[in-house]
Parts: sequence; structure tokens; C-alpha cells
Amino acid sequence: MRLGSLFLWDIRFQAKHGFYFLYAVLTVLYVAVLFAVPESWKEKTAAILIFSDPASMGLFFMGAIILLEKSQHTPCAFAVSPVCPMEYIIAEVSSLSAISLAAAVVLASAAGADNLHIVLLGTAISSMIFTLFGIIIATKISSLNQFILWTVPIEIVCFGPAILHLFKITPAWLRYYPVNVCMEMVSGGTPSAMGILIVMALLAILFILSKHCVLKMWSSTGGVKL
Amino acid sequence: MIQVSNLSFSYTRQPFISDMSFFVSSGEIFGFLGPSGAGKSTLQKVLIGMLTAYQGSAMVNGIECRHRTRRFYEDIGVDFEFSTMYEKLTAKENLQFFSSLYEKKTRPIDELLEMVGLEHDGDKRVADYSKGMKSRLNFIKALLHDPLLLCLDEPTSGLDPTNSRMMKNMILAERAKGKTILLTTHNMQDAAELCDRVAFIVNGKICALDSPHNLIMSKGAATVTYTWIDNGEHSASCPIDRLSDDEQLKRLIANNCLQSIHSSEPNLNDIFMDITGRTLL
Ligand SMILES: Nc1ncnc2c1ncn2[C@@H]1O[C@H](COP(=O)(O)OP(=O)(O)O)[C@@H](O)[C@H]1O
Ligand SMILES: [Mg+2]
Repeated sequence: MRLGSLFLWDIRFQAKHGFYFLYAVLTVLYVAVLFAVPESWKEKTAAILIFSDPASMGLFFMGAIILLEKSQHTPCAFAVSPVCPMEYIIAEVSSLSAISLAAAVVLASAAGADNLHIVLLGTAISSMIFTLFGIIIATKISSLNQFILWTVPIEIVCFGPAILHLFKITPAWLRYYPVNVCMEMVSGGTPSAMGILIVMALLAILFILSKHCVLKMWSSTGGVKL
Repeated sequence: MIQVSNLSFSYTRQPFISDMSFFVSSGEIFGFLGPSGAGKSTLQKVLIGMLTAYQGSAMVNGIECRHRTRRFYEDIGVDFEFSTMYEKLTAKENLQFFSSLYEKKTRPIDELLEMVGLEHDGDKRVADYSKGMKSRLNFIKALLHDPLLLCLDEPTSGLDPTNSRMMKNMILAERAKGKTILLTTHNMQDAAELCDRVAFIVNGKICALDSPHNLIMSKGAATVTYTWIDNGEHSASCPIDRLSDDEQLKRLIANNCLQSIHSSEPNLNDIFMDITGRTLL
């Protein structure tokens, strides 16, 4: 099973690069924060913590992974292998989502969230969206500085509205804005059918875009220097 | 195995590879010989389906390269001129990972490592490998799935004579198994020794295409150079197939007056200079 193997090797690779260690440490830190805040703030704090780190870590880590791969010319190896871009993407997205989910389970439980399954579904969807954004940007650029520059607009259009939405400061029609739907779920709220539909449409578009970007990266041969 | 007709390709607006036509039969070692920057790697990238924006036709294993699917790569092994391994993983882990990408059964990793003398370094991280070790590792990576067509980009560059010899023997062994091998090089000795046929490539064009033997013969026979002492040292030369017409040489032999006598066969480098007006470096 090629997809299964890609997924398992991604996990091994991420473990070797210390992703699991890093998230274990961060999760302990965040739990400490949750125990420090007053009881009434707990759920909202947990939602912000989950959304702004485990759920969105894919944006940065995907950038790091792809830049590292480019510097080692492994995209060339994939280009001449039977791997389909979609298999590569699904393996990356699901392996990073696994880390997001593990951290989110701990944080949501520590905060005593009621709808754990909705929180986790929201985390998984957010993680997929951010990882796909990470893939699309990382395939286009060739240095860490460029990558950081490009993530700024994504952060502004994603985190800003989502946090405002959590505190219900946004107008009603913005509840269909995809990241707001995600934030609603991460904070344990049941999303509307329309909201789910819009998020799914965004995911589909991001998957198709990232497939094209990955294919293009594989056949362009220039390596990058980190 | 490979059929190229009227192939043109360019990275920019200016034409680069222009109007190439040639074929490579199954079981043949075919070499692209030319100075660096001639377009050898570019041509190879077209043939392995990495550059699809070409004009003309390039058929590999019955498939037009621009229409290749991912399956195309089950039967093609590529050794790039640079390492394509995960530096943080060990050599064995890398080979296990790349093996797992193929549907067909792959070759035993330990056996391959042993063939290139890396059997004691399999558990080292690739980051700790020397340049020569990396090239050997990348070479066996191309062999993992026992492909029908092997594309090797400068396989022996940067290797010491022993390892270069070993790699050349492995290339010949693959041919003996009926595999087709495409080889780029700017080393004319390797080309002369390994290739059944070579194409001279300069500025994106094929200037000559034949077996090394025929190319060398086309230059004509070897020459004989001899020296003798007669009020100082003199030397003269004569084509080997007309020695009996050389009265001076006959007289020198009759009188046992020769100081030295050498024959020099033209090599592929001389032929390359003759045909293209350029050196190989
Ligand atoms: N991705 C690329 N984009 C633009 N030009 C390129 C690219 N890759 C190679 N070239 C140019 O093509 C020329 C030939 O390169 P190459 O095929 O690698 O030659 P060789 O392998 O014969 O040394 C070089 O001048 C190089 O600068
Ligand atoms: Mg080259």
C-alpha cells in the first residue's frame, strides 16, 4: 500500500525531526495555561490555543518540510517515482493532522469541553486547510524568509476574523466564512449545514490547487538553499 | 526502447535542443557525450518525462513522454547528477522508503549495498556520507525496482578509480540482463568503454552518432612516430597503413638507427575535437 507507506514514513520523518517532542512540550505548556486561567475563560482559551497552534501548525511545518525536501532534491526523486501528487499530499496532510488531533484531545479534555467530537472534527478540518495552504505556498518559494513573508497575509485573513468570531463581534453573515466555521467547531459549537458545505468546497479547491502546485514543483528541478 | 523524432525543447525563448532524431534499441548502452552545458541532462529530463513542454516526439517504452502516467516510472530508474536522499535518514531507511513506493517486488537492499561496497555504512545517516558514497547510494537507488530503462547522469563523476571501475562493471552487468541504459558523460574513456553507441552533443544538437569503434575508425588509421639521431635528434611520422612506403623508415630500420618508435591511435576525444571543433571539458 503506497499511501499507507507514505503516511507511516511521514510520521517517522516528523518524529526524527522532533515534531512529536515539540508538541508534547507545547501541549504541557498549554495545559498549564489552561489551569492558570479562571474557570469561566477556560473553554474560550482552549479554543484559541487549539485553533492558533495545533490546528494551524500545518501552515508552518509544511513549509519547513517542503523547503527541507527541496534543499535535498527529494522532489526530483518523487518526480520519477510512481507516487501521485495526491498520495503525497494526503499522506502529509493526514500525518500532520494526527499531531494536531493528539494535542487537541489533551487541550479540550483539560478544558472540560462538552462536544469533544465536534472540537476534534473542527481541529481536523482546520488542520487540513492550513496544511494545504502551507503546501501551496511552500511549492512556490525557495527560502525560509520568503515563506514567512507569504504566511503573513494568510494569518491575517484566517486568525483575525476567527478570533473576532469566537467573541461574537463579527456580523452574522460572516458565520459562513470558512475559518469562522472552523473556529465555531473548535470551540464546540455545532456548525450549520451551509457552513459545512462551504468548508468542504474550500477543502476541495485547496486539494486541487495543491495537486497542481506539487506536480509543478516535482518537475521543476531547481534546489533551494536554506 | 526509445524513439526520438524532430525533438525540440527550450527553457527560454531561444531554441536550445533543436530538431533531434535518434533511436535507442533494447539492451543497448547509449551515451550522450558532450561538454557541460551542452544539453545532455536536459535531453535526459525530456526522456524521463520531467520536461513535457517539448515539440516533436519522444517515445519511451511505447509511451509518448508528455503523456506519461505515474505507472511509466515503474519501469524507469533514474540516477540524477546530485543526491536525492533524505539526509536525516540512514542509507537503509532511504532505500526502504523508496522501495515502498513501487508496486512490483524490489531488489534486496543489503545485496545492493554490498555490490557498491556500502554494506558497513547502511546504518549511517546520509548526511554523514562522503560525496562518492552518496553517488554510489544514488546509483543503487535507481536499481531498486529492477527497471527496464536506466537513466544515469554522469554516474562516474567524482568517483575514485576503484569505485568507478566497480560502477562500470555494474552497468555492464545490467546490460547483460537485457536492460537498456542511457548514460550522459563528458568522460570519453567511459563512453568508449561502456557505450554501444554514442551521440556527440554540442549546443543542443547531435553532431555525430555511431559506435565508438566506428567513430574512431572514421578518423583513419593510427600514426607511427619515430625518432633517430643524425646531427641532433630528428623525428618523423607516417600512417600505420603506409609504413612500407616510407623509405626513410626502411633505411633507419635496416641500419638499426632508430632511437624510438611509437604508434598512436586516435581516441574519442580527438574525434570529438575533429567533428565539433570543441574539447570535451
Ligand atoms: N531549469 C532550467 N531553467 C533554465 N535553464 C536551464 C535549466 N536547467 C538547465 N538550464 C540551462 O540549460 C543548459 C544546459 O544544461 P544541461 O542540460 O544540464 O547541460 P549538460 O547536462 O550537458 O551539462 C545550461 O546552460 C543551463 O543553464
Ligand atoms: Mg548534466
